[in-house]
Amino acid sequence: MRLGTRKLIDRGMTALGIGSIVLLAAALLVFLAPIVVRGLGAFVFRGTIEYRQLTLEKFGRGDVDAVEAEQAEAVEARRPVYEMLSAYKKELADGHESLDEAKKQFRADRKEMRRHEGLADQQRADAQAELDRREAELDRRGEQLAKHEASLVELEELIRELLGPEPGQSVPVLWRDQYGQTRWDRAQVKLDQILNVETWVDQDDPDQPRVRVLVPRADAFEGTTLAPLFPYIENNAEAMLLPRLTFYWRFLTDTSFDAHFFGGIWPEILGTIYLTLGAMLFAVPMGVVAAIYLVEYAREGFLVRVLRTFINTLAGVPSIVFGLFGLAFFISTMHVSPSKSVLAGSMTLAMLILPMVIRASEEAIRAVPATYKEAALSLGASKWWAVLTVILPAALPGVLTGIVISMGRAAGETAPIIFTAAVSVGKPLWPWEALSQPTPALPWNIYNLATEHEAVDEIRHVQYGMVLTLVLLVLLLNAAAIVMRARISKKLRA
Amino acid sequence: MRRFIVFLVSAALGMVSPVAMAAETRIVVDGSTTVGPIAKQFAQYYMSKHPDVNVTVSESGSGNGAKSLVNGTCDAASMSRFMKDNEFQAAVAKGVMPVAHVVAVDGLAVIVHPSNRVKDLSLAQFRDIYEGKIKNWSEVGGPSLSIVKVGRDTNSGTYETFESLVMQGARVSGDTETTGSNGAVRARVQSTPASIGYVGLGFVDRTVKPLAVNGIVPNRETVASGVYPIARPLFLFTNGYPKLGTPLHGFVTLYLSEKGQEIIEAIGFVPVTDY
Repeated sequence: MRLGTRKLIDRGMTALGIGSIVLLAAALLVFLAPIVVRGLGAFVFRGTIEYRQLTLEKFGRGDVDAVEAEQAEAVEARRPVYEMLSAYKKELADGHESLDEAKKQFRADRKEMRRHEGLADQQRADAQAELDRREAELDRRGEQLAKHEASLVELEELIRELLGPEPGQSVPVLWRDQYGQTRWDRAQVKLDQILNVETWVDQDDPDQPRVRVLVPRADAFEGTTLAPLFPYIENNAEAMLLPRLTFYWRFLTDTSFDAHFFGGIWPEILGTIYLTLGAMLFAVPMGVVAAIYLVEYAREGFLVRVLRTFINTLAGVPSIVFGLFGLAFFISTMHVSPSKSVLAGSMTLAMLILPMVIRASEEAIRAVPATYKEAALSLGASKWWAVLTVILPAALPGVLTGIVISMGRAAGETAPIIFTAAVSVGKPLWPWEALSQPTPALPWNIYNLATEHEAVDEIRHVQYGMVLTLVLLVLLLNAAAIVMRARISKKLRA
Repeated sequence: MRRFIVFLVSAALGMVSPVAMAAETRIVVDGSTTVGPIAKQFAQYYMSKHPDVNVTVSESGSGNGAKSLVNGTCDAASMSRFMKDNEFQAAVAKGVMPVAHVVAVDGLAVIVHPSNRVKDLSLAQFRDIYEGKIKNWSEVGGPSLSIVKVGRDTNSGTYETFESLVMQGARVSGDTETTGSNGAVRARVQSTPASIGYVGLGFVDRTVKPLAVNGIVPNRETVASGVYPIARPLFLFTNGYPKLGTPLHGFVTLYLSEKGQEIIEAIGFVPVTDY
C-alpha cells in the first residue's frame, strides 16, 4: 500500500474516533442537561407567598413577622379580585331578580290576553306574536345568565387554584387545596388558564379532528362588571403572589406530604440507601468468598465449569425475574418479613448483583501476580493465610471497584423492588424497622410519579428532583470508588 | 479502609439489634391504583393524628392486593372490584376471612383526547369499539381517524369492572394497548388524538375529555345514584373485621368520618353517604 493512502486511512480513523467521542459527549449532554436543569427546579425556584405560608404553618420554618407582613401585602393586592367577583355575583343575582320580575309580568300579560276573548283575529295574532317574541327574549336572557354562572364557577375554581381559598372560607381538607400555587412557574400556568380558555374548534372538514384555540376568557364576560378583572389579574399577579427566589435544600431531608405534592424526598433517599447497603451486606461477603474459592481452591473441571456457567447465566437474568423470585421465595416461602420489606428487597437486590461482585472479584484476584503468593507460601504461610493477608489486599482495589459499581446498579434498580420492598408512600424508617417494613425508594417512586400519580402534571418538579438525586447518588458512589481505589493503590505501592 | 469496615459492621449491627421494637405500629396497604389516591390521603391523615404509626401504601393493582391479603403480606387490600370466587376460596383455605369495607363509589369515566368532537357514546358503541367492530372514529360521528384503544392489564380491578359492565362476555380485541395504571391510561390519551381509554373518576382532569355514556355524564350525582351505567364501589379488604380500637380499625373506618368523606370528594371520588 502506498504511504499516502496509508496516511489518509490513518487520518480518517483519527477523525472518526474524535467524531464519535464528540458525538458521545453531545449525547451525554443532551441526556444529562435536562436532568440537571429540571432536577434543580425542585431545589431552586421562585417560591410564592403561598409557599412561605405553607412552610411556616406546616413545617414551622420562616420568620413569622416577615411572612405575616408579606401576607398582608398579598391580601391587599388580592382584595380587588374578590371585590370584583362579589360585585359580579351581585350583578348576576340582580339579573335573576329582574328576569323573575319580567317573567311574572309576562305571565300576567299572557293571562290578560287570554281573558280578552272578544278580540279580532288580527289583533289576537299580533298579540300572540308579541308574546312569543317576549318569551323567546326571556329564554335568551335565562340562557345567558346560566352561561355566565357556569363560566363564573369555572373561573372561581381557577382563581382558588391560583390564590388558595378565599379568606374567611372554611379550610379544605387536602393541603393542595389549602394553598394557592407555591411555585411561580406553576402559578404562571394557572394564570394562563385563567386568562385564556382552551377551546377546541371544529374544522370545515368533518373528517379532521378539532383544533386547539386559546380564547381570552375576558370575552365571555365582556360588558359585565367582571371585565376589568382579567387585566387586573394579569398586571398584578406578582403583587398577589410575591414570587421570590427560594433555595429549598431541605427537599433532600423533608418527608413528603399530600402524596408528594409538598415536602421533600427523604423517605425515598433513606430507602434507597438502606436497600443498597443491605444488598451489599449480603452480596459482598458471599461474592468475595465465592470468588476466592473459584480462583484459589476449585480445581478446574466439569463442576467448576458448570458453576461458572450458572454465574454467567445469573448475570443475564432480567431483573424483573429476580423481583418475582424475591416475592415468591423470600416473602411467600421463607417469610423473612410479614410484608414486603427492606430486608426482602435487599436480599433480592443482592441476588441480582452477586454475579457482578463475583466476576469483578475473580478478575481482581486472578490479576494478582503469582509471585506474591509464591513468596508468601515460601515464607511458611498456609494457603488461606496467604490468601487473606497477601492476595486479598493486593486485589482489593479491583474488588472494591466491582463492589461500588454494583452498588450503583443496586441503587438504580426498579424491577426487583416492586414486589419485594417499594411502596408509594411511607415514613422514613429506623434501621431496625427496615427488617419488617417496606419503604419508598427513589427508582420506584420516579416510576410511580411518572405513571400512576393522580396529578402528575402538577408535580413534575418533584419527579425531576428525584431523578437528579438518584443520578447524583450513583455518580457519588462511582466517584467514591475511584477515590478509594486510587488511595489503596497508592498505599500498596508505597 | 478500617473505618469503612467499622462502618459496615456497625450498619449491620444497627439493622439487626432492636428487632423487638417493631411492634404493631405499621399498616401495610397494597392494591388498586384507583383506590391509591384515597389510600395515600387516608394514610397521611391517619399518620398526622397518630405519628407513631407508619402507614405504607403501594399501588400495584387490585389483583395484587387480593394476593397480598391472601398471603398475609398486607393488612388492608385496596381493590376497585370485589374479590373473585377463587380468591375467596384461596383466602379461606389459608384461614384469611376477607371483609369488605366500601370506602367510596367510583364511575369508570370514558376519556378521549379533547380534540375529538365525539361527546357521547352508547354502551354498545363503547363495547363495539373495544371488541374491534368499530375501527374508525367517523363511525361514531368523530373525525376520520382509526381508533387507538387503551386498556388495562388483567390484574386491574378497573379492567374487571370494564369487562363485566361493558364487555359483558365479548372479547376485548387483541390490538388494545395494555397499560399498568390509571395514570398511564390518562397519559396515553392526553397525548394521542385518536385514542380512547377508561379511568376512575378521580383521574379525570382538564387534559382529557370524559364522554357521556348512554347520554349520561359521569359526576357525583349520576354515579352515586347508579344512573351512570359504569359505576362501582371501591373497597378496602381486611382479614376479618379489625379488632376495635387497633390502628387498622381506625384506618379502615376513616371513610365513615366527615373528614374521610371530605377527602374522598376532594380527590374526585364519590363518598358513600351524603354527609
